[in-house]
Amino acid sequence: MSNTIEVTETHHEPSPNKGTIINTIFRVCDITGFKVDLRAEKLIRVNAVAAVVSLLLAVVAAILLVFTRYQPVHLLPAEWYYRLVTFHGLNALIFWIIFFEIAGLYFGSTVILNTRFCAPKLGWVGFILMVLGLVMSNYMILIGKADVMLTSYTPLKAHPLYYLGVILFAVGALIGVILFFGNLMIARREKTYGDSLPLVAYGLMTAAIIAVITLATGAIIYIPTFLWSLGLVQNIDPAMYKLIWWGLGHSSQQINVAAMVSIWYMVSFLAVGGTSINERISRTAFVLYILFICLASAHHLLTDPGVSSAWKVWNTSYAMYLAVLASMIHAFAVPSSFESAQRRWGYNKGLFEWLSKAPWGNPAFSSIILAVIGFGFIGGTTGVIFGMEQTNIIVHNTIAIPGHFKGTVVIGTTLTFMGITYYLIPLIFRRKIVGMGWAKWQPWLFFIGIALLSISMIVLGQLGVPRRHWDATFSGGPFTYNFNPAVDFFWTLMMLGGSLAFISVIIWIGIVVTSVFFGPRVNGPQDMQLKISPLAPPAKSHKGFEAPGTLVLTLIFLLVFLALFFLNWKWLAATWNVK
Amino acid sequence: MSLLSPAEGWYYKKVSKDEKMWMLIALTLCIMLFVWMVLWHVYGKQNPSSITYKTSTVEFAQLAEAYTKQNMIGVDNGIPVVRPQPNTDVFVMAEMWRWSPILVLQINQSYKMHISSKDVVHGLSIQPVNMNFQVYPTYDYLLEFKPTEAGEYRIICNEFCGIGHHTMIGKIVVIEKEEDLKKYGYENFKKAPVAIKTTTNQPVSEADKILLGEQVFTLKGCGACHKTDGTVLIGPSWKGLYGKQEKVKENGETITVKVDDDYIKESIQNPSKKITAGFEKTPMPVIPMTDEDIDNLIAYIKSLKN
Repeated sequence: MSNTIEVTETHHEPSPNKGTIINTIFRVCDITGFKVDLRAEKLIRVNAVAAVVSLLLAVVAAILLVFTRYQPVHLLPAEWYYRLVTFHGLNALIFWIIFFEIAGLYFGSTVILNTRFCAPKLGWVGFILMVLGLVMSNYMILIGKADVMLTSYTPLKAHPLYYLGVILFAVGALIGVILFFGNLMIARREKTYGDSLPLVAYGLMTAAIIAVITLATGAIIYIPTFLWSLGLVQNIDPAMYKLIWWGLGHSSQQINVAAMVSIWYMVSFLAVGGTSINERISRTAFVLYILFICLASAHHLLTDPGVSSAWKVWNTSYAMYLAVLASMIHAFAVPSSFESAQRRWGYNKGLFEWLSKAPWGNPAFSSIILAVIGFGFIGGTTGVIFGMEQTNIIVHNTIAIPGHFKGTVVIGTTLTFMGITYYLIPLIFRRKIVGMGWAKWQPWLFFIGIALLSISMIVLGQLGVPRRHWDATFSGGPFTYNFNPAVDFFWTLMMLGGSLAFISVIIWIGIVVTSVFFGPRVNGPQDMQLKISPLAPPAKSHKGFEAPGTLVLTLIFLLVFLALFFLNWKWLAATWNVK
Repeated sequence: MSLLSPAEGWYYKKVSKDEKMWMLIALTLCIMLFVWMVLWHVYGKQNPSSITYKTSTVEFAQLAEAYTKQNMIGVDNGIPVVRPQPNTDVFVMAEMWRWSPILVLQINQSYKMHISSKDVVHGLSIQPVNMNFQVYPTYDYLLEFKPTEAGEYRIICNEFCGIGHHTMIGKIVVIEKEEDLKKYGYENFKKAPVAIKTTTNQPVSEADKILLGEQVFTLKGCGACHKTDGTVLIGPSWKGLYGKQEKVKENGETITVKVDDDYIKESIQNPSKKITAGFEKTPMPVIPMTDEDIDNLIAYIKSLKN
């Protein structure tokens, strides 16, 4: 890995005697050999810290929400329930993920390209804007001036400062994304990498491009809405609002997917020295995301008035499912990168020795594998099925929808981000991980917790239970309604899953905070607790299948998908007729 | 080598057999999913409609109210019950926080339902059959439903619409034969009664005013928040309200007012001026009413003695 750079210095403090800019702004990593811009490193650190704080806010709200919806406890009063749903959504889906992604973008555009940060001061401006936005929006929510849910569908109206907070955050994030492109330009001009961008940087670049698209075509809706809340604009059409808002809300999830898949490739490299078995295919898949993801807003308008069926079918399928195709390509390419590397290391027996002899003790590795499984089997399958025009009728606005995106954003993105943090602590924060024993089973606990939570929410939704609903017994209404008695079992399961996941996040935050602030310093490769694998040796011969184990796994995935597909359509066919 | 520049010749590397196979399977699946949705429009029986009319909240409220007034056969829990003829247009109104009217439908018959909202975005969710559609203000969504199973159904709201969201629950009854009405206590409901007509030259008796007032109460959906039996829901109960000394908040100050004609009229026309103490969190929306409506409503409230 260090073969591309001459490792000349291994100190951390810039030495004034050497005098050159290179020596004052860079340190050369004594573990990986990468040149690290110290100014970028600081920005990566603060953004990561802000991300962890947001996650903490989000999960504290989450556990209160779980115990409110779990009817035997029914913890919060109605107003606080809705307030915290808004709060949880904003902190989890926006603040935690985007702060982490900005950290990731800075890492991907400087450290792994051995390049300098183009405008660190502007990086701080962006960061301060984002923090300001976070504080402003959260404050308005907590004082009860923005009980509008994350989606804030008009004509529900929040306090102008709530919208302004979101706008400031988006502007800050946009500055971060622009700086990412600035860094890429410098790296390209100064030829700090080879002929082509490394795959991880390429994937992150995809994420950054999608970020610009979604901010420019989606987040823009906050500006007229802000003016409307001030009374300067008369009316915001509710259907137009929803169409544009979801251009942000859903398309931006592909920022997460692109960032997450990039990290999957990165961990394959770090943990077993693997890479995509065909980089051209992986890169093409990333391009498919960029080209088709902007259609995703349609997923939220499938049972809405105002748009025609032809529009719905074309857009919800990303023009014949070409963005889904991209994810399915990665679904093969990521595990096969592990498999191929493991086989070259000699774990060649049978179909699955590569998997059983994988570095399971490495929490980053186990996080990533579990994230791949959860994202595919829970989030991916339900996403495609719920996103079809007609089957959406039986799940729209039910709790199955948050169940689906717990599978994508929580098991997929969040677990991936948590996993990669185990590498970032020693490499970026230069601290040893405190509590490695806990770290080893934290991803498993999180996976089990969210899987239980997510699957029970999906089942509850299929039984008709609405999302964002304080009291599913309808107390105070003119009528009551009892859902299928099976719901009691799944509410309990959901409460259990939510609690496990909460405990796991608290453990993770505990490990991160103790390590970063109190952990022993890392002074060289000997202090690395997680393995950084050398490149896997080249293949000896090349006959037949390169990753037969992965092929079997993906075929199992296909069968599960088809089973769920037919179950849902069967269920739909049993409902009333509607046209 | 995902952290390093790819090895030379990466662009021309042949795609392995298994990856090629998987991509082919995936592509086939993608095309199949797309075609499936299109075919369901031809062969399937559940397809969201493409028909929407642009309307205004005021216009739709008038349409829905006139429709309900004309076709009402009775009242269930303060909500009008309507039994539409098959293949006719039906108006369903969502508002904070009720669905109106209650529908009595015949199994295996089609009904053209116009669905819209009077205020914010709502979610129409028919249970337990679990069919869900979005409801907007200013858009009239036309969905032609054909119930295929008899029984009692609920319409719940599954889009957040304010603090009373969880109380927003309506009813649909699907019957096979006339006798089924008994199951729901609707057997004495007659054909739609002719609304009591008022003419300018004939003074209306107090008793008629009370009846008309009750009709306003039902049609305008007051019952979604105000009970008439003394229980407190989202707003104060109307039982024994008239003539009572009520603590209200005006411009942040708590004052005591007597509930009389003027106070009630002001509370309807400008509900946020004086807010009854204890109900600050659930301010009342402005509900457009004629002076006549208000007169009748006052008579009705007067009649609700302790």
